Amino acid sequence: MQIFIQTLVNGLTTGSLYALIALGYTMVYGVLKLLNFAHGDLFMVGAFIGYFAIGWFGGPTALTIPVPLLVIIMLVIASLGVGGLGVAIERFAYRPLRNAPRIAPLITALGISFVLENAVLLFFGGLTRYYNTPAFIPFSISIHIDGVSIGIVNIIIFAGSIILMLGLTALVNRTVLGKSMRAVASDREAAEMLGINVDRTIAMTFFIGSALAGAAGVMYGLYANQVANLIGFLAGLKAFTAAVVGGIGSIPGAMIGGMFIGLCESFSLSYISTRYGDLFVFAILIAVMLVRPTGIFGQAPLQKV
Amino acid sequence: MAPLLELDSVRLAFGGLRALHDLDLYVNEHEIVSVIGPNGAGKSTVFNVVTGIYRPGGDIRFDGKSIVGRRPHKITNLGIARTFQSLRLFLNMTVKENVKTATYGTTHATPIESMLRLPRARREAREVDARAEDVLSFFGERLQGYRFDQPAYSLSYANRRRLEIARAMATGARLLLLDEPAAGMNPNETHEITELIGRLRDERGYTILVIEHDMHVVEGISDRVIALDHGEKLTEGSFHEVANHPDVVEAYLGRNPEALQQ
Amino acid sequence: MSPIGVDEWVARSGDRRQQHSGPLGALSRAYARVNWWQRLLVLAALGVAFGQIGANGFQQIVAFNSVLYAILAVGLNIVVGWAGLLDLGYIAFFGIGAYGYAMFSSHALGSLLTMTGGAELPTIAAVPIVLVFAGLVGMVIGLISLRLGGDYLAIVTLFFGLAFFEFVNNVDQTNLGGNNGIIALLPWHGFGGEIRSTIGYYYVVLIILILLMAALHLLNESRTGRAWRAVRDDELAAEVMTVPVNAVKVMAFSFGAMVAALAGTVFAAQQGNVFPTNFQSPILILIYACLVLGGVGSIGGAVLGGLAVTIVQQMLGSPTDEGYLFYGIILLALFWKVRPWQYLAATLAAIVGFGFAAHAIAGAISRSAIAGPTGSVGWIGSALRHWVVVPVNGETYGNILFVVVVCALIGIIRLRGIVRLVAVVPTIYFAACCWESRLSVDPAITAEIMIGGILVVMMAVRPHGILGTRRVEIV
Repeated sequence: MQIFIQTLVNGLTTGSLYALIALGYTMVYGVLKLLNFAHGDLFMVGAFIGYFAIGWFGGPTALTIPVPLLVIIMLVIASLGVGGLGVAIERFAYRPLRNAPRIAPLITALGISFVLENAVLLFFGGLTRYYNTPAFIPFSISIHIDGVSIGIVNIIIFAGSIILMLGLTALVNRTVLGKSMRAVASDREAAEMLGINVDRTIAMTFFIGSALAGAAGVMYGLYANQVANLIGFLAGLKAFTAAVVGGIGSIPGAMIGGMFIGLCESFSLSYISTRYGDLFVFAILIAVMLVRPTGIFGQAPLQKV
Repeated sequence: MAPLLELDSVRLAFGGLRALHDLDLYVNEHEIVSVIGPNGAGKSTVFNVVTGIYRPGGDIRFDGKSIVGRRPHKITNLGIARTFQSLRLFLNMTVKENVKTATYGTTHATPIESMLRLPRARREAREVDARAEDVLSFFGERLQGYRFDQPAYSLSYANRRRLEIARAMATGARLLLLDEPAAGMNPNETHEITELIGRLRDERGYTILVIEHDMHVVEGISDRVIALDHGEKLTEGSFHEVANHPDVVEAYLGRNPEALQQ
Repeated sequence: MSPIGVDEWVARSGDRRQQHSGPLGALSRAYARVNWWQRLLVLAALGVAFGQIGANGFQQIVAFNSVLYAILAVGLNIVVGWAGLLDLGYIAFFGIGAYGYAMFSSHALGSLLTMTGGAELPTIAAVPIVLVFAGLVGMVIGLISLRLGGDYLAIVTLFFGLAFFEFVNNVDQTNLGGNNGIIALLPWHGFGGEIRSTIGYYYVVLIILILLMAALHLLNESRTGRAWRAVRDDELAAEVMTVPVNAVKVMAFSFGAMVAALAGTVFAAQQGNVFPTNFQSPILILIYACLVLGGVGSIGGAVLGGLAVTIVQQMLGSPTDEGYLFYGIILLALFWKVRPWQYLAATLAAIVGFGFAAHAIAGAISRSAIAGPTGSVGWIGSALRHWVVVPVNGETYGNILFVVVVCALIGIIRLRGIVRLVAVVPTIYFAACCWESRLSVDPAITAEIMIGGILVVMMAVRPHGILGTRRVEIV
């Protein structure tokens, strides 16, 4: 029972991270019909920014500012930084390809992913960097249930993700920007003809999606304690699986899908084997693709013949 | 004589939208039948259903055999070929290649044979080439000579329409489904298309089902006209009968407002 | 042939406008007059000739690798260029070929079979078995892909490639060797002889490439080729025009898989061993860069891309040659793009002058700012010592310059005319400084960045690659 609850806790934590990244995937796919392979690497950049932010404020053992403030600053800086990077990538790499055949932006995304991974490698080397979280966030602050410890980091991540997701839902459903995003996702040309600034809407979508990924990166760093230049690749793939399982283009789908994938991975690691976790997620993806390609909440696009 | 093509209580719905509702339709061999109706009446859906793109309820029989549920390329091999309302050429392939592609179903050379240029592959290549030239020659000088090797995207709109018809002919079909062949053409070209459709039947023996909005074309070619609206058949008969039928007039022009007030 | 009438002359004006003028035009017209198999013979002759000149070990490896990647690019072209299916798991077929050959040509299968020495089959048996197996796997992947549209197909195949790596790395450590791979492979052997030298394997891949190019060209001109290309252009129209789209897609996957597997067997034999790390994403991206640069949809393009990218990447690995490459490409770009010659001369002079000025200023500010070692060795390094600004601890400096240069390049694209030329001058100088202080120090990473950059830049600037033809798509 203990193992079960612990697995559940871990699953919800990683699930929250996957959900945040998946949201970025799904939002960008919604407005541009583009699978941004580089999205996972934005997550990685966010994690690195968080790492350096700790250093700017004195390092894990000698912080110059209180811990809660540090965490908030890390999240903010990473979100803004990665959001900006996402906007720049959209502006210079994807915008010229708005009307190109579908294969072109996919290959470009592949290239950008590769460039990001290697640029980080060039700048910061291949050594894993450590957040050293236990030095400033005492893991001993946790809730104990039945011998299961829910660390404060888990709570931060889960609560933080929920807040961000609620915020995003409010944005999409209640604001003009959200409405523009939904309009552009539905029919870009028509939206443009109705006076919506499509370029700006798409840029904002990228910003928000990338910012979420950046925040997820910081949270990942706090949780897993380490960052390296290749963490984005695998996390991105699993988050993509989450987005697809939930229905690509659907925001609630990405959230549910993320949690689902996180839980699946956690349970398979606990109960099946630690070596096959990734393969298991892959198998889920294949199964979903074959049985219900549009995912839980997705809709099949209508094509006029 | 049994009809070449028979639709029997065909039904098709997209979610809540009923595209075809218990439709009965038939086309006899060597007939030219026109299908008319306002936009959204379900005319293109009939084509889609006959060629197997959608699977309907009810039955569709070609030459006596049911074709419902078969894959589109198999249906085309049985003898039904179509053109598209919005052109769907293989734009990056040459004119001749577009036509030759449609002969895939009637040739049998395997990739190995093609790679090694074995006799069957060479023979079929010659036959396919001859067939392509024959089909393209039907359209006069327009798609001949230097045009053979030009990419399809360089053709004018009217030539593209002709190429689509040529491609459909190359499949070796007996029944041609032409979806608005005269759309977007000037009066001169429209006249040419009208003659062309007649020649298709007279010289090459095709049976033709045409969707058309231009009533001059419909009048000029049809043995019979079928009028559809909201997925149902309103009426059928000769052009004159159908054009003056009150339901057809209402579908196109709306009901007389004075009649409404009474 | 009837004499050209007015209509035809007008209709062909588009073709004429597309032709190049000057020497390049004459060259391309001459090229078009020659038959495809004559061109192939010339290529074969060049290949053989290269094998005859006395090349050192490094050059032999480069030659072997470039032809190997040309083969891989040609195989990828079948799936991506002709059938239009974005297969991101292609690397797995390369791996299947390599690992398959390894299992049949070593002691690896010892425990699975009753033979104590493992299955050491003669090459003439091992290779076809591996090819058939790869073709079957390709078919299975193709069948799975039928349900998926372009984007989903990409992701699923990407996962498949990943799964292959995980499989050979983690599963069945005894037979597949885990991350230690399988070693001590038999070389290609048969008819009493065996191939052990790199130059021998070079000839093997050269022969494979030439035969493959011929076979695929004939295939592309046949009904199968038309079927693939029709599926890429418009799947629905192809389906109603008698093309069995599903079968054609599966066939494309299968063919591509077999070509990759064939390359895999030679790769394994030449290396003498296989490791899981041989088949990770960077290699996949390299193959894609080859195809994208050379021209998607063109056999010649795939070969050109394969040769060019591999040669460049390998040259970047050699400290003596990388300088030639970097400065050579810059000079080439300048010579190509800057016209007329007066502007070119002025630009070059400005770059040189700017550099010396910057060097002098930096030196005046701080001695250590220019005291660092240049990355280039040999005569290039000594020539540039007094020109570039390389501080003692050049790493961070180089990193910052890298970002600056990338931003400058993006900015230059938006500029036109004289302003652009003026902006080019400092950009090139900073690029050289960045190169000397940082990039040439870590050429492997630089190579990877360059490869990723090829994908991004080509798609934005010239999506059809060097030898590809411009495509028209209805989006």
